[in-house]
Amino acid sequence: MIPRDVARETGRRLAEADAKGLNATLHWSQALLDREAERLETLQANLPLYGLPVAVKDNIVTAEQPTTCASRILEGYVSPYTATAVARLRDAGAMVACKANLDEFAMGSSTENSAFGRVQHPLDPARVPGGSSGGSAALVAAGVVPAALGSETGGSVRQPAAFCGIVGVKPTYGRVSRYGLVAFGSSLDCISVFGRTVADAAKVLGVMSGHDPLDATSARRPALPLTPTHRSDLAGLRIGLPREYFPADLDAGIRAGLDRTIAVVKALGAEVVEVSLPHTKYAVPTYYIIAPAEAASNLARYDGVRYGLRRMSHADDVQGMYRQTRGEGFGPEVRRRILVGTYVLSAGYYDAYYGKAQQVRALLARDFDRAFAGGVDLLLTPTTPTPAFKAGDKVSDPVAMYYSDIFVCGISLAGLPALSLPVGRSEGLPVGAQLIAPAFEEDRMLSVAQVLERTLDGAAEVR
Amino acid sequence: MSSIGPTEVRHVAALSALEVPEADLPQLVAQLQRIVAMVEQLNEVPSAGDVPPFVAGPAAAALRDDRIAPEPLAHPLGQTAPGFAEGFFAVPRHTAMEES
Repeated sequence: MIPRDVARETGRRLAEADAKGLNATLHWSQALLDREAERLETLQANLPLYGLPVAVKDNIVTAEQPTTCASRILEGYVSPYTATAVARLRDAGAMVACKANLDEFAMGSSTENSAFGRVQHPLDPARVPGGSSGGSAALVAAGVVPAALGSETGGSVRQPAAFCGIVGVKPTYGRVSRYGLVAFGSSLDCISVFGRTVADAAKVLGVMSGHDPLDATSARRPALPLTPTHRSDLAGLRIGLPREYFPADLDAGIRAGLDRTIAVVKALGAEVVEVSLPHTKYAVPTYYIIAPAEAASNLARYDGVRYGLRRMSHADDVQGMYRQTRGEGFGPEVRRRILVGTYVLSAGYYDAYYGKAQQVRALLARDFDRAFAGGVDLLLTPTTPTPAFKAGDKVSDPVAMYYSDIFVCGISLAGLPALSLPVGRSEGLPVGAQLIAPAFEEDRMLSVAQVLERTLDGAAEVR
Repeated sequence: MSSIGPTEVRHVAALSALEVPEADLPQLVAQLQRIVAMVEQLNEVPSAGDVPPFVAGPAAAALRDDRIAPEPLAHPLGQTAPGFAEGFFAVPRHTAMEES
């Protein structure tokens, strides 16, 4: 298909998704898609992503469209520059299809926290697609685009990938440049990728990866291969099952999906062993100190002076303008996290909360180090404790919402790469299995995922 | 470990430069109490003095060469100002200077 036809077809699919009420896009236009097609006509057609339409989560800046982070406080903001990750995709022949809806400032697990309305699950409009990258996930799952960028701070790509039945890959912290990713939790944030297949996700990740002098936290390592190392089976590999990720109250459909996956892993020749990650139960509490603390600092910049919205109808002075702008510009979840972050960092509480959380974070990371040092090549777990839940189910109980990330946020705290692979459906809803690798071993993880993808029918009922 | 009530929430809101309507306060206090109780589970974990602190990413930030290079901008600098000529931003002439 020539770029002009891809642009037209992508526009048609985006319009169709919008008309159905998916609410997964925040900004797109046929004119911008046509301009992308014109740009592609000046490039070599043998580029690795030539003609690939990619949705971009709206907390990754692009100079051509607004970047709102799904927040009123950034409504209408247009960045003067484009993120390195997006620039690399465009240089490799991809076209930016749209900016995708998300939980405001990437804070949430259901994409119900967007200031511009919730995103619907593509298979069941009453359910959530997961979050915070729910718009990107829904667009890939609905077949609008073959791949999309999301971002992870504590599981925001793997969890929606599992809920929507697609592939979601979080690289090692530092593998992909964050220049142009709007900061949330700086010691955790990673640009990550969704694909319909492992091959698509791996190719996009490969193009984005590699050192960037504009991001001091990006690792000085060569880019990942565009195609994972080929494997015909899993012989010679040892896969660890952390017992803390298979609790007695795990949803029966999720358990059935994982049982099926483990049987396939064994049949393909891998050795499966039980391991322990003893601090797992502390991952969510640790995350909800560290991430809000970093968010409270990073979001201090939105003050009504430098970006977007300004509110001062009842402000007496500049401090009042800051307070009113931030109070009216941020939504409830962002306000809650800023308050929690400020509380745990405030005088008299810093050591008890933030200092303690840093210690437990080191213990969580050591659990993974010990498991891998003990001879395990990869870990296999469920991605989520349940399939996609109903919209509104957890909105009034933030802590219940936080625990939907129980199997993903510990990996983020340890800075490790992980992916979610669809391994079946339970009563029609997708089930995701998670593979976790040692730092910078994305290729091992992707090559194993590709073997499993070939063997398992990700759309088959598991019970 | 600590109790969080309306006074603490008002104080933290002031530190955060965040206006919180009084009507929202009861629900916010209840939610923050739940969140703080949840994170206080970490008190169960014995002190881990022998474990080195976790450092995300490279242990030391790589320094760039001490060399001046153009900043990559999506749009030319001149497009960011109403007037730009010969490498300078053009600004209105100051009246007093004109008269002197």
